[in-house]
Amino acid sequence: MKKLLFSTLSLVMVVCAGCGKVDLLNLASSQEKERVTIKIAWWGEKPRHDYTMEVIELFEKTYPHINIEPEYAYWDDYWKRLAPLAAANQLPDIVQMDLLYLKTYSENNLLEDLTPFIDEGVINTDDISEDFLLGGKVNGAMYGFPLGLNVPAIIVDRDLLSSAIDSFPDSNWTWADYEEIVSKVHNVKGIYGTNGMKSVDVFFSYYLRTKGMNLYNNSGTGLGYEEDQLFIDYFEMQLRLLEKGAFPRADEEDQIKGIENGLLVNKLAPMTWAYSNQYIGISEAANRELDLIPPPGPGQFEGLTLRPSMHFSISKSSKNKEAAALFINFFINNIEANQIIKGERGVPISSTIADKIENVLSEDQKNVFEYVYKVKNNNPKVEKADPLGGIEVVSLLQDISDQILFKKITPSEGAKMFRTGANSILSNKN
Amino acid sequence: MSIPVIKGNPKANIPIRSISKRSRIIKENLTGYAFISPFVIGFLAFTFIPILASLYLSFTNYNLFAPPKWIGLDNYIKMFTGDPRYWQSLKVTLIYVFAGVPLRLAFALLIAMMLNTASKAVGLYRSLFYLPSLIGGSVAVAIMWRNVFGDIGIVNILLELIGIPTVRWFGNPTAALWMLIFLSVWQFGSSMLIFLAGLKGIPKSYYEAASVDGANGVQKFFKITLPMLSPVILFNTVMQTIAAFMTFVPAFIISKGTGGPLDGTLLYSLYLFIQGFEFFNMGYASAMAWVMLIIVGILTAVIFSTSKYWVHYESEGGK
Repeated sequence: MKKLLFSTLSLVMVVCAGCGKVDLLNLASSQEKERVTIKIAWWGEKPRHDYTMEVIELFEKTYPHINIEPEYAYWDDYWKRLAPLAAANQLPDIVQMDLLYLKTYSENNLLEDLTPFIDEGVINTDDISEDFLLGGKVNGAMYGFPLGLNVPAIIVDRDLLSSAIDSFPDSNWTWADYEEIVSKVHNVKGIYGTNGMKSVDVFFSYYLRTKGMNLYNNSGTGLGYEEDQLFIDYFEMQLRLLEKGAFPRADEEDQIKGIENGLLVNKLAPMTWAYSNQYIGISEAANRELDLIPPPGPGQFEGLTLRPSMHFSISKSSKNKEAAALFINFFINNIEANQIIKGERGVPISSTIADKIENVLSEDQKNVFEYVYKVKNNNPKVEKADPLGGIEVVSLLQDISDQILFKKITPSEGAKMFRTGANSILSNKN
Repeated sequence: MSIPVIKGNPKANIPIRSISKRSRIIKENLTGYAFISPFVIGFLAFTFIPILASLYLSFTNYNLFAPPKWIGLDNYIKMFTGDPRYWQSLKVTLIYVFAGVPLRLAFALLIAMMLNTASKAVGLYRSLFYLPSLIGGSVAVAIMWRNVFGDIGIVNILLELIGIPTVRWFGNPTAALWMLIFLSVWQFGSSMLIFLAGLKGIPKSYYEAASVDGANGVQKFFKITLPMLSPVILFNTVMQTIAAFMTFVPAFIISKGTGGPLDGTLLYSLYLFIQGFEFFNMGYASAMAWVMLIIVGILTAVIFSTSKYWVHYESEGGK
C-alpha cells in the first residue's frame, strides 16, 4: 500500500515538474476565466422576471465563466429585503435601483462609481446621449446605469371607454375633461372611471410640473412649491370623483397585488395612471388592445419628463465588479438581449439598440416607444435622483392622501400637514 | 512539598493532594460556569450587548450604514412632539393590547373549562384547540387569515352564498384592527394549556363542599375557580401583555407591511420596523424600542402591584 502511494506520488511529481512552465501559463489564463458567480436583484412583476431570466441565460451562454444567481420580488418587498442586506454588507453584486433610493444608497457608500468601467470601455456608452446618463449621477459620480426611459402616462382600454363616452380624449385634454369622462364612465357603466392615480408622488409631481413647480426644491432641503392651493386643488378633484363613486377607495387598491389583479385588467376601470413601460406588462396581462395617452394638461409639455426609473448599480461589497459591469453592458448594448427585453424597463437609452430592435416589437411596444419618443423630442428633460429622505416624504404623502380620501382630514389640512412634515424631514437630512 | 496522609486510620493510608479551600471553590465554580457558558455567551452576544448598543443608538442618528452621530435627546423629542404617526401607532397598539389580551384570556379560560372534563375525546380536542397556537406567530397563519377574510376570501364567498352582502374585512381601519385582535384571540392555545394545568390543581373537594352547601355553577366559578386560578391568571396576563406589545408578524403580513388602511393596523413594532428598515432611521427606531420597554415595564409593574388585591395564594392562607 505504502509502495503504491509512494510511486503514485512520485509519478505525479515528475509529471508536474516536467510541465511546470506550461502549467503556470495555463494557470494564469484559466484564473482569468475562473468561474465566478454574481448575484443580481430586481423588482417587478411576473413578465419582467420571465424575460430577465431569459436574458441571464443568454448572457451565461455568451460568458460561460460567469454564473448569475437572480433574486426578485415585488416593489414593496424588494426594498424591505434590500435594506437588511445592505446593513449586513451583503448586497447582491448588481442591484436594480430607483431614483427614489439611489441617493440613500450611494451617499451611504453602498454603491460603486461606474465611471471607471465606462472609461475602460467595459460598459460601452458610444450610442448613449450624455443627458440620459445624468439620471444615474449623484455629485458627479455614476452610481446607477439607467436601463430605459419612461414617461408618466395614462393607459386606456379604448373599447371599454368608448362604450361609455362619445368622443375619445385627444392628447391636449384638460383636467376638466378628465373629471367629466371619469364621472361619465361611472354613470353609464357603474364601474370606476380611473384607478386611484397611484403612486401619489409620481402623479402629484407631474401635476406640480405642469404648473411650473416641483415636488422638491433644487437643493432638496424642502418642498418645491409655495402655494398649498395646488395641493388642495389636486386632492379636491379626487374627492369629488370619490364621492360620486367614480374613484376607487384608498383601501381598495391596497388589497390588489400583482398587475393581473388590477382594475384595468379586470375591466373595472377603463383608465389607469402608470409609467409608460408598465403598459407592456399591463397589456400582456389584459390580453387585449390598450392605448397610451398623455395625462391631462394644460402644461403637459413641462409636466412630462423622461424618467430613467430603473438603474443597475454595482454594490461596493461586490467581489466581482468586472463581471457585474459586463452584465450591465450586455443588458444595455446587446441586440439579442434587447430583442428579448423589448423595452420593458423603458425605451433603451442606446439609440442604436432602440433602432435595431424595432422590427421585433409588437404594436403595443411600438406604441410605448412612440409615446416616449414624442416626449423625448419635445422636452428631453431627464429626472434626477430624489433627495435623501425622499422615501419618507413619499410615504408621508401616501399617508396623507389616504387620510384625505378616507375623509379623516380635509385637503387643506392635508396640505399643511404635508408641508410641515416634508420640510422637517428634508431639512433634517439634506 | 510532602504529601499529607490521612492519619488515625492506618488502613486508609491514601495520599490526597493538598488543595486549598479557595482554589477548590474556584474549580467548582469554573465547572459551573462552563456548563452555563453556552447560555451566557449567547445571552451576552445576542441579547445583552445588542440591548446596550440600541440604548446608545437611540441617542444617535444611526441610519444602518453610516457611522452613528450623537444627537442627544432629539429622537425622543421628535417622537413625542413631532410625529403624529408615532401616536397613532401607540393608540393602535394600546387598543390591540387592552382589547386583545382580556378577550384572549377569557376565551382561553372558557375553552380550558370545557376541556377540563373527564370525557374520552378530551385529549384529541386539546390537541386540536392547541393547533392554531402551535403554528403560532407564523407567517402562514397570517396569510391564511388574510385570505380567509380577504375580499374574495372564503368568508365572503359564504356570505354571498347565503345572500348577505359581502364585507370588506380589512377595508376600514377599525375593522382591520379588530381582525388582528380576533386573530390573536384565536391563537389562545398556550394560555389555555396553562389554565388547564391550573384547573387540574384545584382540589375537587372544594367543589363538593360547595355543592353540599347548595352553591350553583356560577357561584362556584366566582367563589372557587377564579380565586384559585388567580395566580395563573396573573402569570398569563403578564406574559400575554408583553407578547401583545411586541406583535409584529400578523400586522406586517395582513397590511402588506404598510400598517394600513389608514395606519389602522400600524402596531408599534411595525412602525418601528418601518422607521428602521424603510426610512433608515435606525436611531429613531432604537429610541422607540426603549420607550416601548419602559411602557411595558410600567404596565407590568402596575399589574403586579394590583395583584395583592386579587391574587390568592394557597400557601399564604388564601390571602
